[in-house]
Amino acid sequence: MMMRNDLMGRIFWGMGNLIVMAYALLPVLWIVSLSLKQSSHLNDQRFFPQTISFENYRIIFSDMQFPAALWNSIGIAVISTLLAVTLGMFAAYAIVRLEFPGRRLILAGALATAMFPSVVIIGPIFNMWRTVGLFDTWLGLILPYMTFALPLAIWILSAFFREMPWDLDKAARVDGATPLQAFIWVIVPLAAPAVFTAAILVFIFAWNDFLFAISLTSTNNARTVPAVIAFFTGSSRFELPTGLIAAASVVITVPVMIIVLIFQRLIVAGLTSGAVKG
Amino acid sequence: MIRIRLTLVLWITVSIILYGCSSHRKEAIPTLNWYVAGEPSGAFFMAAKRCSEDSGQAYKIEQVPLPADTDQQREQLVRRLAAGDNAIDIIGMDVIWTAEFAQAGWILPWTGKTAEQAKAGRLDAPLQSAIYQNQLWAAPFTTNIQLLWYRTDRVNTAPATWDEMILLAESLGEIGTIQAQGERYEGLTAFFVSLLASNGGSVLDVSGKHISLAQQPTLQTLSTMARFANSSAADWALATAREDQARLAFESGHSSFMVNYPFVWPSAQRNAPEIAKHLGWARWPATIEGKPSRFVIGGLNLGVSAYTPYPQLAFHAAACLTAAKHQRMAAELGGLLPTIAALYDEPEIRVTYPFADVLRSSLSDAVQRPQTPLYNDISLAISRTLHPMRDIEPQKDFIRLRRAIERALNSEGLL
Amino acid sequence: MNQKQSNERRLGWLLCAPAVTALLVVTAYPILYALWLSLFRYDLRFPDQRAFIGLDNYVSILTSEVWWHALGNTLILTIISVSLELLLGFPLALIMHHTLFWRRAVRATTLIPYAIITVVAALAWKFAFDPTIGFVNALLGTEQAWLTQRWSAFLVIILTEIWKTTPFMALLLMAGLTLVPHDLIQAARVDGANAWQRFIKIIVPIMKPAILVAVLFRTLDAFRIFDTVFIQTRGAQGTETVSLLGYNTFIVSLNLGLGSAVSVLIFIGVLIISVLFIKGFGASLTKGGNAE
Repeated sequence: MMMRNDLMGRIFWGMGNLIVMAYALLPVLWIVSLSLKQSSHLNDQRFFPQTISFENYRIIFSDMQFPAALWNSIGIAVISTLLAVTLGMFAAYAIVRLEFPGRRLILAGALATAMFPSVVIIGPIFNMWRTVGLFDTWLGLILPYMTFALPLAIWILSAFFREMPWDLDKAARVDGATPLQAFIWVIVPLAAPAVFTAAILVFIFAWNDFLFAISLTSTNNARTVPAVIAFFTGSSRFELPTGLIAAASVVITVPVMIIVLIFQRLIVAGLTSGAVKG
Repeated sequence: MIRIRLTLVLWITVSIILYGCSSHRKEAIPTLNWYVAGEPSGAFFMAAKRCSEDSGQAYKIEQVPLPADTDQQREQLVRRLAAGDNAIDIIGMDVIWTAEFAQAGWILPWTGKTAEQAKAGRLDAPLQSAIYQNQLWAAPFTTNIQLLWYRTDRVNTAPATWDEMILLAESLGEIGTIQAQGERYEGLTAFFVSLLASNGGSVLDVSGKHISLAQQPTLQTLSTMARFANSSAADWALATAREDQARLAFESGHSSFMVNYPFVWPSAQRNAPEIAKHLGWARWPATIEGKPSRFVIGGLNLGVSAYTPYPQLAFHAAACLTAAKHQRMAAELGGLLPTIAALYDEPEIRVTYPFADVLRSSLSDAVQRPQTPLYNDISLAISRTLHPMRDIEPQKDFIRLRRAIERALNSEGLL
Repeated sequence: MNQKQSNERRLGWLLCAPAVTALLVVTAYPILYALWLSLFRYDLRFPDQRAFIGLDNYVSILTSEVWWHALGNTLILTIISVSLELLLGFPLALIMHHTLFWRRAVRATTLIPYAIITVVAALAWKFAFDPTIGFVNALLGTEQAWLTQRWSAFLVIILTEIWKTTPFMALLLMAGLTLVPHDLIQAARVDGANAWQRFIKIIVPIMKPAILVAVLFRTLDAFRIFDTVFIQTRGAQGTETVSLLGYNTFIVSLNLGLGSAVSVLIFIGVLIISVLFIKGFGASLTKGGNAE
């Protein structure tokens, strides 16, 4: 009896697993399949391509626009991540480890900032940037990315830091190290996984941004891939270049998928740390 | 050791030469960036190439394609112009942007000799589309106007009015469908403004600052739209049809009438030769019997950005791009109607456009869409209020429309 | 206060200073600037007509059907997608929690929708529902142009949102599930409670803080929906949302005054939602949040 129950349970949850995986992968497979279809087969309404063609990939990489956008996306996301995680690390350490007035306010303020809609500030930022000349530059995107990147970094890092064995820090300070030295020599190596997690999540967010990218950039100087995909012109006046859009989508999806598959444990920990204690 | 030193010397020399070359090229021939909607036939590209060559190394025109959709073209340009982007030199402007761009100070006025070149031999309606407050702001390049296309194997003579066409289409049954543009976009506004003009009305008064929208012609226009959209003659997908959806539907053979631009002619020859054989054309249907229809003018004018580092060169280049020989090329290769009147008499053009005379007479009665810097807002107000056409209730929507346009004119309403 | 304390305090401020300054510059300042601009007639297309007009922009927005329509749409999208996500998030969380084999693979796959770029997800679903290239019509045997009518367009948008964010919801719920003591469940099972009773009577109450946090996060996130709607309909067919309205006023119309007023109203909307949550579930929320 017990055995049968167990077996039924296994089958039940196993089926659940399959459904979940199908659910998550379906649109991804669909866009991959679209990108591999020949343009003459685009309208066949089939899920899988009949013949596989890499033509779309060849076209997007031989076009000037896409490689430039890819470079912008990578550069802007990486710099934003480094900046946010560095600043966030200092702040989170102070919030968790040091006694000073205003630390709760900073944490609450960071959370509030992360939650408000970006659209609220695009107008003022556009107006500021066009006067100071930051419109359509990398810095012009990196700065507004701090609105979501910094709160995310501070929040995740402070949640992680709270769980860390701080005795080592104390020991170092007993040995005569200043708080700053203790921070650099003891805490930084200990905190590496936390920092790495924060970095991954910030990177995913920066990589994902669309609203700032379409509002504050206009050329290959700083336009990122999501913005470029949305405005792909295509060669003919009336046809939407579906195959090219699909290929470009696959190219920017691959890096995040790899990151997710490798670091899923860290990401889960990072995502849930902010919301639930423990 | 010697080899290393040699390599080093060689390396430095090559670098210097490469560096010298690249900076040399930049300084010698200024590049003029021409932002214009993508043109698949290559006519624009060829024009840019020839003008660059003819300039005798004075400038090089680089064509930068914009999205196909007019609203998206405007959105991209406007954002960059508002940011004072100096990488834009020549702008391919839809006729409806003139007032807005001029008022905002984004384009330079045309004066003197280049202005004379830009005006030379132009049809009146396209020329007027480039003028705002008695000043020329762009060189008329191509124009566009809708005609009525119909199946000569199903209909003997083209209907003269909308009422007549709807009745005729209904009597034909399933194959009687009339293809038109009913999506919520600029095309719906163009449809409304044209019907209104044919009824003798207009959106704004002559000053362009106040609303006109007289009751009788407006109500009549709205009831024609409602009648058409609710008739069995309308396509079921009218509410999402743009020019190209209408063309595709017509080419499938299940429609007998279509109001659309002349690009449908070469397209039918290519894609549906059987239908092309029976494709007739006539002037856009009137609304009042005996009073010829008036359709809104479309097309492309070339303006010079206020932020270009090379204004003189840009004027020169824009005048060259819009010259007769390049209009001829755009007409023959790209199917874009010329703005120079004399071209309509040339035999080659008349071969490409067998309906050249109907075009010219339509163009001579064409109307302008409201020439105000707020046109974009007004257009959105119109298309949003009247979409979908099948839900129009003339009395109620007349008031809604007036209110929406008034708000747009005060640039206070949300759109 | 001794020397050590004041040193610590100074160091604390010093370490926070860069992050706080950056946040103030990129958020607090633009928000205040928007508040200021919203009192002006300031349209970049008429730069010389800039003038102080008090609250006129607000009056004009609040009396416009466009605003209420967009707000209504946003609320519909938010409420429907968040409730469906919660409904689907539970089974998903249970599956992930109970997974015995392929644990890594299952969890990693569920993260994919969350990590994928929203624009890409929106395009994938848009193409899937497209009548000429998509497979959905062929699959369902329908002939529907999904994105051309209001309710079917809403359906596609909501589906995309749900697909994209249910995993996030499920992760937060799963974290809450780990807080449920196993022996409590066993005890209930021994007492004869069936699965549903165990779920309602034991699991849900313990998880309440986690649920509320997840719902609050997602509500605020859904309220600012932009990418999906922009890609799939661009606000046509009556699917415009408040974020799209803000974008159109700022970036398409370049009307900074009016756009700023829209921004301020959206901001107030977010505040109202947060206050409602905190008032309604305040105690449970702080228990769940990590504010110690």
